[in-house]
Amino acid sequence: MQRRDFLKISAASGAVAALEGCGNPDHKLIQFIPEEDLIPGIATWKPSVCTLCQSACGTQVRVMQGDAEVVRNGQLGLIKMGLAKKIEGNPAHPVSHGKLCPRGHAALQVTYHPDRIKGPMAVTGQRGSGEYQLISWDEALKRLQAQLGPLATAKQKGALLFLTAPLIGQRRTIVEGFAQAFGGSPVEFELFDRSVLEEANLQSFGIAAMPTIDLSHSNYVISFGADFLGTWNSPVAQSVGYGAMRERPGQRGKFVQFETRVSQTGANADEWIACPPGMEGAIALSLAHVILGDKLRPANAAGALGTAIDGWSTGLTEYAPEKTAAQAGISAATITRIAHESASNGPAVVLIGDLATAQTNGLASALAVNALNMLLGSAGKPGGIEFSPTAVAGGATASGRGANGSIRDVVQLINSSVPKALLLYGANPVFATPEAWQVKALLEKVPFIASFGSFVDETSILADLILPDSSPLESWMDGSPEAGTTRMIVNVAPPAMNPIHETRSMPDVLLTIAQQTGGDAAKALPWKSYEDAVKASLAQYQSVKGGSVTATSADDFWSKVQAAGGWWSAEAEPAAIRLGETGTTIRTTTAQFDGDPEQYPFYFLPFPSQMFYDGSLANLPWMQEAPDPMSSAMWGSWVEVNPATAQKLGIAQADLIEVASQHGTVRAPAMISPGIAPNAVAMPIGQGHEHYTRYASGRGANPIAILAPMSTENGALAWGATRVKISKVGVGRLALFGGSFREDEIDREPR
Amino acid sequence: MTGVICVASLGLWLAAGRSSKAQAPAPTPLAAQDTGVYTTAHSSILAAVREFFGIRSTPVQPIAFTHKVHLANGLQCVYCHTGVDEGPDATIPNTNFCMTCHVAIDTTNPEIQKIAAYQSRGENIPWERVYGFEQSAHVKFNHAPHIRAGIDCSTCHGDMTKQTVAVQAVKLDMGYCITCHEQKKVSIDCVTCHY
Repeated sequence: MQRRDFLKISAASGAVAALEGCGNPDHKLIQFIPEEDLIPGIATWKPSVCTLCQSACGTQVRVMQGDAEVVRNGQLGLIKMGLAKKIEGNPAHPVSHGKLCPRGHAALQVTYHPDRIKGPMAVTGQRGSGEYQLISWDEALKRLQAQLGPLATAKQKGALLFLTAPLIGQRRTIVEGFAQAFGGSPVEFELFDRSVLEEANLQSFGIAAMPTIDLSHSNYVISFGADFLGTWNSPVAQSVGYGAMRERPGQRGKFVQFETRVSQTGANADEWIACPPGMEGAIALSLAHVILGDKLRPANAAGALGTAIDGWSTGLTEYAPEKTAAQAGISAATITRIAHESASNGPAVVLIGDLATAQTNGLASALAVNALNMLLGSAGKPGGIEFSPTAVAGGATASGRGANGSIRDVVQLINSSVPKALLLYGANPVFATPEAWQVKALLEKVPFIASFGSFVDETSILADLILPDSSPLESWMDGSPEAGTTRMIVNVAPPAMNPIHETRSMPDVLLTIAQQTGGDAAKALPWKSYEDAVKASLAQYQSVKGGSVTATSADDFWSKVQAAGGWWSAEAEPAAIRLGETGTTIRTTTAQFDGDPEQYPFYFLPFPSQMFYDGSLANLPWMQEAPDPMSSAMWGSWVEVNPATAQKLGIAQADLIEVASQHGTVRAPAMISPGIAPNAVAMPIGQGHEHYTRYASGRGANPIAILAPMSTENGALAWGATRVKISKVGVGRLALFGGSFREDEIDREPR
Repeated sequence: MTGVICVASLGLWLAAGRSSKAQAPAPTPLAAQDTGVYTTAHSSILAAVREFFGIRSTPVQPIAFTHKVHLANGLQCVYCHTGVDEGPDATIPNTNFCMTCHVAIDTTNPEIQKIAAYQSRGENIPWERVYGFEQSAHVKFNHAPHIRAGIDCSTCHGDMTKQTVAVQAVKLDMGYCITCHEQKKVSIDCVTCHY
């Protein structure tokens, strides 16, 4: 026989044994008639917007024809349709500059998630049982109308509670209009509350918005705890700016980070300085003391922002470096040197965020940092902090966004008068609030709960009716991000693909209900569709000179803006700041912590995870698989413990630790880390879901659950203000990408 | 040597038998339920061997579509097989496309009535693949450059005016491709087609 055939036969005999075939080989699926006309094998890139955090980065999505397994009218089959295959940053977008953080890349998995809710569902078992049956859209809308219709006629204030993630654009407008028409209020909930910084910026600069930091022109960056390269504010835009700063030939800037635990941002610092939680404002004022005392900047450079701070006019004697050094465990010489460096190497910019603003004195610390920025001459200047013009135009001059303290208002509201209906969209407060707040028990009091989310989570499992929204890739996108660019900007993008499941765009569902209800509801929401609402909102930008899109007519403008993924001004136009008038005197009070230091010796530092953010992305397996940047841990939780502390307590790597606050306990394996102070322990936020798809349910531990109900001055949750004790309770498992496990030992099994 | 191969095959066969007994046949999935098993492997050794040797059974089409009649009536190839000059695939049109004509033409023909039935159920006609390469060859054929180069469809697909139900009239082995590539002085680098 021929050698080739001999080899073929030999190989065939040695071939791998019988294996299961692909997905569904023996059951020929019927093929539905395609609804789109596509050229197979050719990919197109379509613009879209990432919605997984508040940055609203512009993306581009690679779409190609593929076969999708879908259900239509209760029948499973295949359909050829345009399918999103990959998400990248949109190079022309002023926020993302063509880049994306890992969460943006993983957003693809939201659309194709196997546990996505595929059609409207009604609860069959008890509330919270998770037993649902699929119903038709007609039936679902009928039920929703039946519940909400009477509320529109009664117009009783507080009858409807619409609980959402922070929204922008016409999506927000429609939700607000809907809530008000049905006798209710929209409440926006986010764990990483922006209200502290928004309130501080309102008082200091007259703008209630997160800052846009001009890092590419900065020369000296001081950050108090802000994870600006990972999760804080607009991380992609900030990372791009930071990269530009570092690449400047001969002037790559200096970056100093003050925090209690080395974050992934802090790991990039030229100088990393340990600082106890709650002392950030005091250290900032200590720097100001040196600058004022050594006359490094004009005495009145900080203007009203300075004089608003108690003791500023007399040189902040309480914050002399020697005094602060003793309290903070930092040498006075370091404080003095950094003050000098920052004042002589401008533009210098100071940032504060995350744990530093999640303290009982968070607002005061933020105001101190604003004053320091003003003193250094970087407020409202290139290389410093600026503000987005569209944020201001959108009404960010009033403290509009509800703090997650607004959840506390919700708690009080429900206690006094229970709403008749609760609508949920993108918010998971049952997971993301301390158990001490008892949010679940309170929400359960509401007689009718409907959810528009795509997944069953701890909060949406309480829903009686689910009307699933299409995923972001299947939806119209619009709105302006609060920070990230000082160009005028509005994102607009059509769906990158048709819905694969029988889902409907949530704003369109609201518009349908409003139109059916008639009366004031129909008047408040006059658009036929969400797309119409977006188109109407764009008209104002067509005549603005110097924009990214020029057009001859409204229709031409509309189609060009869609193709580009939005409209933005060619030039930066930072919003003008209005310096605060001297009013209330600010004292940086000592931060308070829950728990007696004798019994609860450790500061508890939950930190936002680069992969899961606030826990809303733990359902994405790519994010579970992606190693944590500092520890390389995957698929689980851990407690970071200082090596000296570990030795004292007899704790070894991966030992199971119980972390106990006055309000609860959680357990997770120990991670011995030199990057955390001996009197603190840290846990990543995001795991510990009870219900959140097969990938996150029953996995890890949720540090938010045991937090004390402490507040910042403006009512936001002070999630850095809890003290805990730790003890070894057994042996745990840590899956580290760095090689402590064999690849096949990592527990990725669905729970 | 042959003895070893036989034993190996026997061993594998036994193993196959055991493993297929251990796993019950996959149940009919419920609405919107996938089996959760994703692999490019074959459903049995036999299937793997057949693919390896390029043995393919004659496709049985759901509709007795006849190219002869359509071409005789003046239809061009690209009228139905759109996208062939733009992308890698020559598409087979969907049910709606067929019905644009057949809503009126030859409606009493039982085959046409079958198409109408598919359309009323919202289903695409489940054609069986006639042309293709075994997966193990890792070859990707791209129609567009060939059409743009002016190659006639019949060069590889044979004289369709004589075909009723489509069959592979031309033996499309690698030698066939290489011969033509060499004649036309086009790349015969491996990576041109195998990637």
